[in-house]
Amino acid sequence: MRKLRTFENIILDLSRYWQKKGCLLYYPYNSEVGAGTFNPATFIRVLDNKPWKICYVEICKRPRDGRYAENPLRFQQFYQLQVVMQPAPTNIQRFFLESLECIGFKLKEHEVRFVEGDWDAPTLGAWGLGWEVWLDGLEITQFTYFQQAGGLDLKEIPVELSYGLERIAMLLQGVKSAFDLKWNNTLTWGDVHRQNEIEFSEYNFLAADARLLVSLFNQYEAEAVRLFEKGLILPGYDHTIKCSHIFNVLEARGGISISERAKMIARVRALATQAAQLYKQKMSEQNVLKEGAKQ
Amino acid sequence: MIDFLLEIGFEEFPPSFLKKSANELSGKVVNLLNQQRIFHRSVRTIYTPRRIGVLILGLTRKQKPQVVEIQGPPKKLAFDERNQPTEMLQGFMKANNLKHSQIVVRKIKKGEYVCGKKEVVGVNTEDILYEEVPKILKTLEFPKTMIWTKGGTKFPRPIRWIVALLDRRPLKFEFAGVRADRHSMPNQHFSFKPIRLEKPREYINFLRHGGVIVDPNERRKLIVKRIKKAVEKMEGKPLCTNEMIEEINCTTEYPEAVVVGFDEQYLNLPKEVLMTVLKAQGYLIWLKPTSRFVCVFSARKKALQNVKKGYTLVVGSKLYDALFYYKNDSKQGLTRMEANTKRMMWLNGLGSLYDKASRLSDFANFFKKIPGLNLQTLKRAARLCKVDLLSEMIREKDFTSLQGIMGGHYARISGEEEAVASAIKEHYLPKFAGDKMPSTKEGVVLSIIDKIDNVVGAFLSGNRPSGSYDPLAVRRNGYAVVNLINSNSFDITLFNAVDALLKLYKKDIEHEILFEFFTERCSRYLQDKKYRYDEINTVLARWKGDIVDARMRCAALKKMSGKAEFTKLVIGQKRVRNILKNVQGLGKVSTELFKQSAEKKLFKKGMETDGQLKTLFEARDYQKILDLLLAMRPDIDKFFDDVLVMCEDEKLKKNRLALVSLINRIFLCFGDLSRIVIEGEKN
Repeated sequence: MRKLRTFENIILDLSRYWQKKGCLLYYPYNSEVGAGTFNPATFIRVLDNKPWKICYVEICKRPRDGRYAENPLRFQQFYQLQVVMQPAPTNIQRFFLESLECIGFKLKEHEVRFVEGDWDAPTLGAWGLGWEVWLDGLEITQFTYFQQAGGLDLKEIPVELSYGLERIAMLLQGVKSAFDLKWNNTLTWGDVHRQNEIEFSEYNFLAADARLLVSLFNQYEAEAVRLFEKGLILPGYDHTIKCSHIFNVLEARGGISISERAKMIARVRALATQAAQLYKQKMSEQNVLKEGAKQ
Repeated sequence: MIDFLLEIGFEEFPPSFLKKSANELSGKVVNLLNQQRIFHRSVRTIYTPRRIGVLILGLTRKQKPQVVEIQGPPKKLAFDERNQPTEMLQGFMKANNLKHSQIVVRKIKKGEYVCGKKEVVGVNTEDILYEEVPKILKTLEFPKTMIWTKGGTKFPRPIRWIVALLDRRPLKFEFAGVRADRHSMPNQHFSFKPIRLEKPREYINFLRHGGVIVDPNERRKLIVKRIKKAVEKMEGKPLCTNEMIEEINCTTEYPEAVVVGFDEQYLNLPKEVLMTVLKAQGYLIWLKPTSRFVCVFSARKKALQNVKKGYTLVVGSKLYDALFYYKNDSKQGLTRMEANTKRMMWLNGLGSLYDKASRLSDFANFFKKIPGLNLQTLKRAARLCKVDLLSEMIREKDFTSLQGIMGGHYARISGEEEAVASAIKEHYLPKFAGDKMPSTKEGVVLSIIDKIDNVVGAFLSGNRPSGSYDPLAVRRNGYAVVNLINSNSFDITLFNAVDALLKLYKKDIEHEILFEFFTERCSRYLQDKKYRYDEINTVLARWKGDIVDARMRCAALKKMSGKAEFTKLVIGQKRVRNILKNVQGLGKVSTELFKQSAEKKLFKKGMETDGQLKTLFEARDYQKILDLLLAMRPDIDKFFDDVLVMCEDEKLKKNRLALVSLINRIFLCFGDLSRIVIEGEKN
């Protein structure tokens, strides 16, 4: 019998694999994000159009997906392993498939399906083409070639792989619920997260103070704008991320109309786009200065 | 004889245009061969999710030789008086390496010229393919493309290898940063090792060993066979269409099939929900009416148990979610949801969904005279038809396509009448050309009401379609209105309906642009019903929005078309139109001013016909009406033959014009016949 691979070992094995492929090992962002793409290590760095390889775990919050710990596959907080390689290597698909082998999937015994999935993050002004990767029918990874970020065309096309760690572990460990996943040899994912899921589901759907959230949204937005004006782009972007999360909670809480919803998405998008453009501008100015200094 | 294999290998291609792209590629390669006079015996188009290509057997090594004629100097300058070649001709021959025997004289437009007949030896097929195939690849067209390398080549997904093998020789051209060669790639579940091909004929079998059935027709048959095998001796009937099989074919390199089950409690979900889940999970095929489905997958047979486990989990989880929404929605009930529609805005500046529902309910009154329609049912359904947009199920993007359908279910659960539920369920139909129609009268009328409101709302909120811009699918909505009214033979005057709706909006808008829009939609509809453009124009010239009537008039006209008598009548109408052009201020016809019998006769005939027409119009007997109009022709002809309308006497002239105008008005009651195009006539 094969030795059971624990959740933490899956993360370690994948990280080591990508480390060997030249990726810098990094860490999650320190504020709530909906996906690893929001982390400046992806969103800001791909704007550089320079070689960039990175791998990190992201703690993703999707308030609408909470199910009070009752659905085996849906939770308001989960883990992604994010890999970005810029420019995308020509054999990236093989790298990816071999990474699955490295954590214990024999490709000969499974079906890996690349299902067309055009990726679009409206709040980030980013889109790309690629696939949802299904392993035996279960979506385990989003595989995307970015084309635009912050409304800007990218030149060195990066590839982004977002592994859904819970789903992968469930298949590997052969359990039917993420809550039963072995995190290590003594504790389960459920032990770590169950209470969190129950309480946050109630918070997101019922207890969140919508008025406070709306007011926070407005304040963070204003702060982001103020910071952009001062040329403090990364702190401004940090506040953009906060707005995005607050919007997600509000959406779960209910009480924003379709038109309000569209407006709020547009507002976050405007901030993200502005961050991207200002960052580009600042970088090219600094490059000019550097070039000048060299001469 | 040699063989040629071209295979473009890429990461998984979007299935919706895979087949089309493969056909475009093979079509263009075959075209090239034909143009270049390269004979070939057979062509096989190849596609799988990871490659498109073409395998051509029995090509000639070279182009067929060709005799071309090179034009030289004019004959006059080519030969001297003694018929000997001049210096000019000698120069031409020398320059083109021609002998005397190859010189001929040809007569062309400009006169007689000397030509050199020259046999051109065929170019090697290899050289042509090497040059031209990369050019073909550049011309392929796709609905959506991406870039992935610095070169910026656009293609639906990254190209990773190219096989271009002419017999034993690879054509090493470069495209999208990839050098073509002799190596193909196997199915990734089998190996990552390239498959080396010595010659094209090895392709199909070598790839089969690599887990790829490259021929789509062979693969399609195999899929059907695998499904049949999997469900052998099982209860239930696989619910699958040819489109589903083709969709599976475009996502599969090596089909295997397995039967998977789900918890029986999910059979309590509406069937549409179950089907939606199965479709979204990669066209899984339901074994109706059991709690099992067939999954066609593309991997090794060894994967079967894992695939079964995986699909059990994922379908189970999706159905769990669906049931979660369904229960919550059912618990909440339509009344709560309806209250929420007040918070949901519809179109810019046009109020909430609640306001829309109230308006639809009021607008329903306009349709109350339709025989057999239950107005109360219709009004109730109108009130509730948008409520499901607030349900959890429809707000989840996987299930948005079930709008209306869920509304119907929830209405039934909330204790609404069956007729109300079914009208709600069907009011989005027809969703596309050729789609099903609503099955009940209330469903049909609700669909019409909603769609007229969609059109009018779009115009009022600045979403009027123009060119390719039509974000709210206003044209489709307008067309469906015409289609629904006609198919149900409703006695509805569309323009009056639009006016009635505009009153409810209390907004200022020129109704003409809406009339124009619907007239154009009606014209389009009648064209699709195979009526001629000019017949439609004739009928719609003075249209008031009665669709059924327009169609009947077109039908009557169609029967007449081509008849000699009718053609003459049309010519007469064109004459009348020309005579009346720019004429204004005509009074009544005065019989005292008639000077010739033809005038009297025509007037009498006109009055007689006019009297008879009234009842015929009421009966909509357009065949008889056209017959009657036709019967006026002898008198009209006689009038124009005998009477000079534009005579010197101003009084007489005016009276005669008034008579012509009177006759014209009688004709216009049917339509503007002068718009009929007669063969040989420039309109």
